[in-house]
Amino acid sequence: MPMDPSYLLFFAVLAPVLAGLVTLFLPRTAMNARVMIALAGMAASFLSVLYHVTELGAAPIDATGTATIRWVPILNLNIAFLADGLGTFFALLVSGIGVLIVLYARAYFGPNRDDLYRFFPTLGFFATAMMGIVLADYTLLTLLFWEMTSISSFLLIGWDRYDKKAVKLAMQAFFTTGLGGMMLFGGVLLLGEYSSVWRWSDLENVTFNAGTTWAFVLMFIGAASKSAQFPFHYWLPGAMAAPTPVSAYLHSATMVKAGVYLVARLFPVFAALELWPWLILPIGALTMLLGALIAINQHDLKRIFAYTTVSQLGLLMAMYGLGAIPFTYHGETYPAIDLDIAQIANHAFYKAPLFIIAGALGHVASRNITRLNGAFYKHPMMAGTMILAGWALAGLPLSISFQAKELFLYAIYHASETIGVWWLLVMAMAIVTAMCNVAIFVRLTTTLLGLPGGMTEADGDRQEDHAHHEHEHGFWPVFLWLPALLLVSFQFIGGIFTPAWNAVFGPLENVTHENYIGHKFHGMPALWDIEFGTPLIGSLIAIGGGLVLGFSRLFRGAIVDVCDNIYPLVYRLCVIGGGRAFRVIQTGHLRHYIMFVLATFLVGFLSSLYIDPSMIDPVVLSWNRVGRFWTGIFLGLVICASAFSLVLTQDRPLRVLLLGAAGFAVVGMYLVYEAPDLALTQLLFEIISVILFVLVLRLLPANEGGAKRLSVIRITLSAASGIGFGWMTIIAATSNPSNRLGEFFLKNSYLIDGSKDYTYGGGGMNVVNVILVDFRGFDTIGEICVLAIAAFGVWSMLPPRSRRPS
Amino acid sequence: MSSTILRTGNRLILPLTFLFAAYMWLKGHNEPGGGFIAGMIFSVGILLYRMSNGPEAFRRLVPVHPRWLVFYGLGLALLTAIVPMLLGYPFLTSHTRNLPLGFGQEIHFTSALLFDTGVMLVVVGVAVGMIQRLSEELNI
Repeated sequence: MPMDPSYLLFFAVLAPVLAGLVTLFLPRTAMNARVMIALAGMAASFLSVLYHVTELGAAPIDATGTATIRWVPILNLNIAFLADGLGTFFALLVSGIGVLIVLYARAYFGPNRDDLYRFFPTLGFFATAMMGIVLADYTLLTLLFWEMTSISSFLLIGWDRYDKKAVKLAMQAFFTTGLGGMMLFGGVLLLGEYSSVWRWSDLENVTFNAGTTWAFVLMFIGAASKSAQFPFHYWLPGAMAAPTPVSAYLHSATMVKAGVYLVARLFPVFAALELWPWLILPIGALTMLLGALIAINQHDLKRIFAYTTVSQLGLLMAMYGLGAIPFTYHGETYPAIDLDIAQIANHAFYKAPLFIIAGALGHVASRNITRLNGAFYKHPMMAGTMILAGWALAGLPLSISFQAKELFLYAIYHASETIGVWWLLVMAMAIVTAMCNVAIFVRLTTTLLGLPGGMTEADGDRQEDHAHHEHEHGFWPVFLWLPALLLVSFQFIGGIFTPAWNAVFGPLENVTHENYIGHKFHGMPALWDIEFGTPLIGSLIAIGGGLVLGFSRLFRGAIVDVCDNIYPLVYRLCVIGGGRAFRVIQTGHLRHYIMFVLATFLVGFLSSLYIDPSMIDPVVLSWNRVGRFWTGIFLGLVICASAFSLVLTQDRPLRVLLLGAAGFAVVGMYLVYEAPDLALTQLLFEIISVILFVLVLRLLPANEGGAKRLSVIRITLSAASGIGFGWMTIIAATSNPSNRLGEFFLKNSYLIDGSKDYTYGGGGMNVVNVILVDFRGFDTIGEICVLAIAAFGVWSMLPPRSRRPS
Repeated sequence: MSSTILRTGNRLILPLTFLFAAYMWLKGHNEPGGGFIAGMIFSVGILLYRMSNGPEAFRRLVPVHPRWLVFYGLGLALLTAIVPMLLGYPFLTSHTRNLPLGFGQEIHFTSALLFDTGVMLVVVGVAVGMIQRLSEELNI
């Protein structure tokens, strides 16, 4: 019997975090068991996805997602997963690299670190969130997991809780990507509102209008902040404060690809928007160039690779931007994009190894490139792996990276049909970027091998070194470099045996709705099949220029990116502005707050009066009938008189008595108009409040005196809001809805016909009470809660005295 | 504030006050009254007693801290609100039943009465508690 695929994918998503939680129950010393369980979680996740894709068809094109587990149907938020080629590929990437990172983390943190105790649950949390993003079918479910990656990334960047700088950088990353998450939220909501699309598998039903265009723009901003696109790219190099296993996992291979994933998810449908290439291509290309130019000017290995990651993410975005531009070739129309997944895999397979080795070298020697001269002879495996990965970074032949870069240059070349001479600019940016990458490779190699042209300490040493970890012998240190070697080997297998690469990744090059854009899989060309043409010339220029740049003395210092100031600047502005606003708004004077509340009320009241002039009628009507209510008017005058005299006297007891007078006049009013319940309540309330006042007055400090000016503004405001409240009362008492509501209450309290059938409706003859305890019982709960809070306030401000002997 | 006349009078008045409050409490659903009013009457009675007979007599009358009244009152009100949800009805659904007493008489019982009781307990706890605490502060 075939297994229900929904549970398989559900399990794949949950396995990492469950395994991480299980490790918490192990004793702290059980180090190996902890590693094994965390490993098992990742591996189980990987194998379930693999099983799903091999057993149920490589690319379920018409995937309507898996069976739905209903969660919050009213919000269009249910649990369902969509394992098309794109989702499956990302899920395999996340869980597969996750397996290697677990091993690497064990080697990196060393044997007796409490760190590992916290690390595996947090890592599992992240892996689950990431799996959720790429597999979720409901847009809101993706958003939920998206925010979870922000949180887990925050926890992992600020790993060293006592390092203030790291915590600050973690907050920077959190706020930047969190803000992007809010944009994505807005986008998802707009998309759902304007075209009723709440599932990615429904995406082709999008109707294009202003709403969905904005939805796309917002979602792209979300993706751009997550994928570190200019001008949000600053958070990614900042996130290098994290331990290296985190950097290798989150900030090179997986989390930063979430934005790329989102764009890939939107691509088949939204590429039809005219806006698509003109929004994505410039941002992507600019990020690509900027990242490369800063990367070459760094000394810390992790910072170098962080900026090349920024650059590569820009390239991936630019690729999707170009993807919307079709071209004709031999009379057939093709989309410019062909092998997006190959590009993403290519990047993961060399960037994660680079980070892994950077951490490993920092472990045994230094992370500062100027101090690594000749390190190859001391640490041959690490340095050797790094040189291999650097080869792929440079996009040199024999690595799949070469073909990938070639395809990207093809795409730019083909775009010339549509974007005109702009293609030359993009091409130049791509070539400069490639040159920088080649130059970085040259410098890495010459430095590690101690050849002339390498970096030395003479090149300045402005970046601080990383703290060393304790050294360990035996079995585990192998995993400092073995995962990297394994990953980078895929690069060369792909580069040399290209058909094997195509056999693995070809079936995954399928996105749901692929026929929408006409995406067709042609396979990665083998190295010897590449035709001679403009793209190849571009590659050759890049390699030649890169070699020259690498050996030259140019760009050898370490610079600081100007954009690093964006977040601190915005942060400071928020703090200063917030402080200013706080001082203006929070004066500490009760009267100012009340004035503010009343003024806001008046503005609202007057504007609704302006919109709905029929609100004037009930007042006029009441005025005409005023003669019938002389008793009420007399009592009203008493109330007004006591209220006015309240303001004129300074004597507190007198004021309390005046308040009481007003209250008792209200009681009289209730009695006259036949509301015994209200009269009784008001009467008792007056008694209790007078007692309370008398007591409180004796506790108050003496009146500070000083003649109080009668401010015109305050008098006007009070008079106006008094009239406003009265006006609203008249409207509420006379207009229709109130009648209907009153009738409803009457009808549902008891039978009108006089027969005392108490089982009917609220079951009470006293409508006021039925309203209190039944119809509006929820309000009553709120009110007694407020009462209780007030009493607890008194008790906590006046704590009980120690029991005196009496 | 204490006087013999007040003390003696209060001894007569207090049971009547409580009786009236209980009447208000039980009768509230059909005639003027209800938990809030009953709570107020209880409080006024207790406070009058406290004024005339002093804090020691008050402690004998209300042996627990009033916050427990607030605690149980809120708990009871929330419980009557939530129990219908557990039985599958909307929040705060009121149930009525006529309990036979024999001799052809019956008592009309509504679950809203329990809710009202909660309200009453909260009102008594808050009013008595606050005023008692403030009076204690002033040593009266």
